Amino acid sequence: MCLAIAAPAWAGEPITATFWYSYGGKVRQVTEDMVKKFNSSQTKYRIDGSFQGDYFQTLAKIRAAITTKTAPTIFHVIGEAMPDLWQGGMFENLEPYVKSTGVKTEEFVQPLSQHGYFDYFGKSVPLFAIPFNRSMPVMYYNKDMLDAKGVKVPTTWDELRDAAAKLTVREGNDVKTWGFEVPVDWWFWHGLLYQAGGSLLSADGKQAAFRQKGGEALQYWVDMVNKHKIMKRPGGKDYNAWEVTNTDFITQKAAMIFTSTAFVNYLTENVKFKMGTAFLPKKEQFAAPTGGTFFVMIKDATPAQKEAGWAFIKWMSEPAQAISWSQNTGYICTSEPAIKSAEMQKFYQANPNYLVAYEQLKYAQRMPFTPALIRIQREVIQPNLEAPVIGLKTVDETMAAAEKAANDILAGK
Amino acid sequence: MGHPRPMRRQTLLGYALILPSMAFFSAFYIYPVVYSFYLSFFTWDMLQPKRFIGLTNYRELLVAEEFQEVLGNTLAYSLGVVVLAMGIGLALALLLNNRTALSSFFQACIFTSYIVSWVAVSLLWMWMLDPQYGLVNYVAGFLGVPPVDWLGNHRLAIWSLVGVTVWKVIGYPMIIFLAGLQNISQDYYEAASLDGASTWHQFRYITWPLLAPTTVFLFITLTIATFQGFDIVNIMTQGGPVHATSIYVFYIYEQAFHYFRIGRASAAVIICFGLILALTYAQHRLFRRNLHYTQVG
Repeated sequence: MCLAIAAPAWAGEPITATFWYSYGGKVRQVTEDMVKKFNSSQTKYRIDGSFQGDYFQTLAKIRAAITTKTAPTIFHVIGEAMPDLWQGGMFENLEPYVKSTGVKTEEFVQPLSQHGYFDYFGKSVPLFAIPFNRSMPVMYYNKDMLDAKGVKVPTTWDELRDAAAKLTVREGNDVKTWGFEVPVDWWFWHGLLYQAGGSLLSADGKQAAFRQKGGEALQYWVDMVNKHKIMKRPGGKDYNAWEVTNTDFITQKAAMIFTSTAFVNYLTENVKFKMGTAFLPKKEQFAAPTGGTFFVMIKDATPAQKEAGWAFIKWMSEPAQAISWSQNTGYICTSEPAIKSAEMQKFYQANPNYLVAYEQLKYAQRMPFTPALIRIQREVIQPNLEAPVIGLKTVDETMAAAEKAANDILAGK
Repeated sequence: MGHPRPMRRQTLLGYALILPSMAFFSAFYIYPVVYSFYLSFFTWDMLQPKRFIGLTNYRELLVAEEFQEVLGNTLAYSLGVVVLAMGIGLALALLLNNRTALSSFFQACIFTSYIVSWVAVSLLWMWMLDPQYGLVNYVAGFLGVPPVDWLGNHRLAIWSLVGVTVWKVIGYPMIIFLAGLQNISQDYYEAASLDGASTWHQFRYITWPLLAPTTVFLFITLTIATFQGFDIVNIMTQGGPVHATSIYVFYIYEQAFHYFRIGRASAAVIICFGLILALTYAQHRLFRRNLHYTQVG
């Protein structure tokens, strides 16, 4: 195996691999601490980590770096972008590494692993991604507010709407507290699409199939924003809207929000009220996508870099690291043995908000394995979802145009 | 054979002296433009090999609804900024056209925002315009104005950006107009007041015509600058809500680095390049004519 010949361990200098990661704030701090810990825990390998902005900025930089042959050895990539990059020949096949170092992939929490995340439509795709900072959207609620109004934690779309109506506090024309707030964003829309019993693509993955049910999902938001006026549409695009949502929740301008489980730690530390988390409410069924990133390795890296990179990925996936990562952020722990460990069980008992996303995984939805996925997300769905919410187009106009655009992309146009 | 030796050496020296800047210019301006032109005939996602598709990128751009929206937004932003900045800039210049200390102080204050980076200005105004916590709505609240979603309302957003841009750049037209005003000889005004001309007539028949070259210069440079606007959109709205604030350069950036449609982005670059080239050419033509005019006047 190439791994064996590539190791000049006698050379004295550590073998170095570069690692690009992409999240800010507290999560970035935790990542940097773990890189430091890895580097000081042994002398054979060294990881040079660097922060590259948000997920999408990193994606742009990676492409530019590939063209100029300056790509890092390993990096974090969002699941939706992986089929396109895999087809473009960017990733190293990780199966030989798994075999030669005895990593037990069956111990990964399956819906969070590459094979659990994708629907391959019967094709066989090798392992090229290792789950790490994996998340899910959950509902956060201000327990004090719900208790004060005698509102039960909603579990269905209807209950959520009723609860939001009861929790909305108006002062004249002004809204003092919004019952509900969620970024008008692909990720949450995807959850609602499947809750409504729909799916993104047809069963063979060749056609877009979201027009009707995706429309129901969008209409639900449109009505809450414009008809009932009980949901706030946070301003700003992409992650700006997420930040607004978190801030409104912390400052008690919103009683219930959807956001990632990755913010459990951050929100717990910053709210001054009793906070609860719960499943996203269901319509026909409970459903939620998973999100966050996987570790991948660049095919063009040198064998020595790959060896060092793999050593780091393997170390990061070990239960001890998986536990500390999850506890310090709120990302779902990716290792089953770690979740079953006494330490984690005790932690979940003391901090039940961290457990909700893991339990919601039984309703996790797979993403279609097609290079069109990232384009459908970024170009077709994400920029157009807001149009009916602000009254520019009807829901069906938006969804019909999106479905047509998605079909063009699937057809390779 | 025709040139004497020393002249030749001088020519060579001249070329040698401009060589560094020419090298820089070629590497960072000429080469990228030429390469963009080349790329505009391909489809390329920076990952798979490039594929030649002829004029398809141009054709698709010109019929795309979004591209037309972007042109409309750019025109609105550009004209809005140019007209307001020049109007207010001229008014400020007329007010501050004297050599008192107070007037210098105000000039310095107004010009400061022009020097501050776009990022700082954008972040500052995001706070100021925040619908819930922002200073602007807070102050407006005292006057009984209901809270306005300055950046989230799709009809208002582009005008909010125009307002912020005018605030930021206003010092530039002010200073240029001041320079223009100080070039006008006092003799004209003395003669005019002896003849009993009112302040308005002095402005209408002396100041305004003699400022014409300055006005044309500002119009062209501000138009070009606003056509190249990017930072403010990238930071404050990312082109949203929906496409309401997507202006030209931001659109190019989005096509290239969000959607990885490098060919289409390059085609948009070339169209933009053509537009700005035309504007620059117009500037040269007009400027020459007006320069002539002032010499006569």
